[in-house]
Amino acid sequence: MNDYQNILEYFNQLPTLVKVVWVISIALFTLILGLIAYLKILRINLRRNEIKRIKYQEIYEEHLINYLYAGDNIDEISTEQREFINKMKKDISIEFNRNILVAVMTKLVNDISGEVATAIYKLYTETGLIDYSLQKLKARKWEIIASGIYELTQFEVKHVYKEIEKLIKHPHKEVRNQAQLYLVNLFQFKGLKFLNDLEYQLSEWNQIQLLEILQKFDNQEITDITIWLKSTNISVVEFALKLAKVYNQFESKETLLELLRHDNKELKVQTINVLTYFYDTECKTYLKSNFHQSSESEQIAFFKLLENVAENSDEDFVIENISHPNFKIKLAALKILKDINPDKFNYLEIAKNNTDAKRIIEFIEHN
Amino acid sequence: MSNKKKIVLAEDNSTLSLLLKFRLQKEGYDLFIAADGKQAIELIEEHTPELILSDIMMPYISGLEVISHVRNKLEMKVPIIVFSAAGQEEMVLKAFNLGANDFMGKPFSPNELVIRVKRLLSS
Repeated sequence: MNDYQNILEYFNQLPTLVKVVWVISIALFTLILGLIAYLKILRINLRRNEIKRIKYQEIYEEHLINYLYAGDNIDEISTEQREFINKMKKDISIEFNRNILVAVMTKLVNDISGEVATAIYKLYTETGLIDYSLQKLKARKWEIIASGIYELTQFEVKHVYKEIEKLIKHPHKEVRNQAQLYLVNLFQFKGLKFLNDLEYQLSEWNQIQLLEILQKFDNQEITDITIWLKSTNISVVEFALKLAKVYNQFESKETLLELLRHDNKELKVQTINVLTYFYDTECKTYLKSNFHQSSESEQIAFFKLLENVAENSDEDFVIENISHPNFKIKLAALKILKDINPDKFNYLEIAKNNTDAKRIIEFIEHN
Repeated sequence: MSNKKKIVLAEDNSTLSLLLKFRLQKEGYDLFIAADGKQAIELIEEHTPELILSDIMMPYISGLEVISHVRNKLEMKVPIIVFSAAGQEEMVLKAFNLGANDFMGKPFSPNELVIRVKRLLSS
């Protein structure tokens, strides 16, 4: 007691500034102690949860495999399987258990196909997990909605597509992305119908994901892409151009030629690249006549096209550009000239001491 | 001493491992499960299996390294089936160059795997 009073007296005698420093130090020290205790508890809880998760995962894995091999007929649910379903129905009322079961089922369904996959889809419906996923679609948080769509995609729940279609215009990008993946994963090319009136931009990553999904299907019969090539949404047109190239949509050539008149320069470059891939010659006249009004990227793209399809009739145009200030165009022009008229190219060689293109000509000669 | 043919299965998806173990045991094979390439090599050296099933992408040691170890270091001619996911075509080619006998692209049907296992073990 005396010690305490002495400390208090000592403290009261201190200058104000030192008192403030002492108070702050004690407050900070207490705060740090509190934080350390909080982190310790948090770490213990996380470890405990992780151990519990691993334990439940092992239990559910075993249950799931037993369930899958408990029935003889895929169309009928055996008594043993029914018991498992009833047990699971109770278990999954707890979110922690439900998340683990869904994770285990997802992990398996990603790697297997055939009858076993069908049995898992059935289990997803029978246990009522589907209802929890559908409830997620009505959540306020975007990440919950997205995870709901993801689960419905994984377990191939096709009949709820109308609910998902409504989410294609969701304000959050990730929800829209998951909705698109659902439609394409489950309905293949028909699922791309959402592109018809898509208002949001389709990111490059979205486009790659969609193309990757489409390519894994056996049925590679693509629907008509003309409507998307004419879309007012630039990203949809870009995606349609990728489809045109990947699926050799030569029949869309007329629409592709119309795209050369588009206002967007980048889109025009991409169109020329697709036409280059098709070895199209019809676009040459238009591109030549508009060459000087075109951007440098378009001009380079056009010369790449010419490298594939140049004819003798293009010679004058090519010669006009062998002194083009852009190196890529100059190089392409010389290469094309060498292909379509080697004599003229050799004539240039005679004069190469007088030309800036000397090194380029030498390079072309040796390649 | 068991007459059952021994199979080492190297797969990091524990649920898939369990499913295949159950399925192949039902067909009368003796299964040894490895969760990664390191464990797979240990099991192969310990049990000298008649067949190896291996995923290509695994922690610590990949499926390709497992094949290389089996063919080049252990000099075993045991048949090897590799599992690959979409987009791993180049890896599959490398696996064949290293000495894999067959491959199955994920997702695959366990029934089809059993057919291939039987075919390889009977030839």
